[in-house]
Amino acid sequence: MTDLLEIREKIKLVYSKYEVFILPLAKFLLAFVVLLSLNSKLGYMGRLDNMALVLIVALMCSFLPTGCIILFAMLFSLLHMYALAMEAALVGLCLYLVMFLLFLRFSPKDSLVVVLTPLLFFLHVPYVTPIAVGLLCGPASMISVGCGVAIHYLLQTVVDSAAALNTMGDEEAIAKIRLMIDGIIGNREMMVMIAAFAITVLVVYLIRRLSIDYAWTIAMVSGALIDVMILLIGDLIYDINTSVVSALLGSLLAVAVAKVIEFFRFCVDYSRTEKVQFEDDEYYYYVKAVPKMTVAMSTKTVKKINAQHVRNEAVSDREDEDSYRSTGAQSRRGGMGRSVTTERTAAGRSGYGTTRGTGRGDRRVGRSVTIGSTSQKSDLDDYIEDFDEEI
Amino acid sequence: MLNEERVILMTHMASYESGEGKQNVKIGNYFRSDYIAVQVLKAVISATIAFALVFALYILYNLEIFLQDLYKIDIILFAKNVLTYYGITVVGYGILTYILSTYRYAKAKNNLKHYYQNLKKLNSLYNQQ
Repeated sequence: MTDLLEIREKIKLVYSKYEVFILPLAKFLLAFVVLLSLNSKLGYMGRLDNMALVLIVALMCSFLPTGCIILFAMLFSLLHMYALAMEAALVGLCLYLVMFLLFLRFSPKDSLVVVLTPLLFFLHVPYVTPIAVGLLCGPASMISVGCGVAIHYLLQTVVDSAAALNTMGDEEAIAKIRLMIDGIIGNREMMVMIAAFAITVLVVYLIRRLSIDYAWTIAMVSGALIDVMILLIGDLIYDINTSVVSALLGSLLAVAVAKVIEFFRFCVDYSRTEKVQFEDDEYYYYVKAVPKMTVAMSTKTVKKINAQHVRNEAVSDREDEDSYRSTGAQSRRGGMGRSVTTERTAAGRSGYGTTRGTGRGDRRVGRSVTIGSTSQKSDLDDYIEDFDEEI
Repeated sequence: MLNEERVILMTHMASYESGEGKQNVKIGNYFRSDYIAVQVLKAVISATIAFALVFALYILYNLEIFLQDLYKIDIILFAKNVLTYYGITVVGYGILTYILSTYRYAKAKNNLKHYYQNLKKLNSLYNQQ
């Protein structure tokens, strides 16, 4: 666990130091993966299935707001649909617009969830979504998760209907639209999935907000169970042929991912470095406020086990040090004994000053523990007295 | 001379203004009724466009039936049904938006209260100097 915590501290340090580069890089990678997955899933328009174009668009997304990723992803999917059949693109456009007008305008910050949900479906780990969103976001995010699921099934309908759409001629435009709409509205699996994910998000959110021990763990486990249960009930009612094994394995994976999220959520303070500008009558202020953090240094323990003459003077000489020392009273009286000396250099603390931009650090004083044992009798009163003095 | 306490306070406030506060200040500029009215109006427009899109898809889906029974359809009854559905959609969405806007306005005002308290404190710090 200590190693993990050290890694966490290092991640924290690296993130705060290189945040300016890490965020655009993360956005670039996300946009790149999303567009590549769209091209590999649909890929009907040859011009879009071009690595250079994907790279350019991903690069643009790296410095544009996060919402632009969803915009480009929608544009790519619509163009692929258009290349397949104009009617498919028309239905897709209508669905996207309805989603945007009715749902997404309430939670514009959750655009990332709308992009990630179909991506996780593509990567065959969809059950991670509701648990992760329930842990990290609010209850309103279940709308975004629902929209993400609907987009996945829209794309799936396009893929499933591609062969039929290709065989139909231009004069069968209405039939194509009917095929697409039937594929979406008649998709019971989509409805069950939306209901399961939405309820899971809500349950996970409500449980993790409770003031009970292990609320997060209970939330993720119960969320996974409820998700599987709703899917099984949906399977029984609508006969949607949900793979129970994949649902269970996916839920287990989701819990594992959620544990990782919990670790990073609780342990890594992603509060960002703030750069603010303001002015008053006298000055212009350009302030860089860096959140304080502690970096756990590796602890060094030195054990010296040797036969030595433990002298009374050794105790009094070290009284001025900020250290704990417990010695047997008999060691004060002198004599040969076996002595174990443990010196621990405590973790240093390095911090970043806020507002003044100066590094501020304080060091904890090292501790040293000396345990001595001799063949002489111990005197309990002396021991207590000695210990009190040291404290 | 730079006043450290003042700089810290101003930094916190500037940080709030550039983040969460940006939206809250925008909301705080409205009177409660005005803000809710604007949001509900936007919701009505959004719901109208969304309903029109869905209705257009419905017409396209059933185009053959419509063309076949064009002269048999009771247009008035059909229009009445469509308007009823439209009304339900718009009113339902409007009520939802009203509730959400009321909650958001109250939340933003509550946050702004702390912001204004800090402003007063900052003003007193300037006066002390």
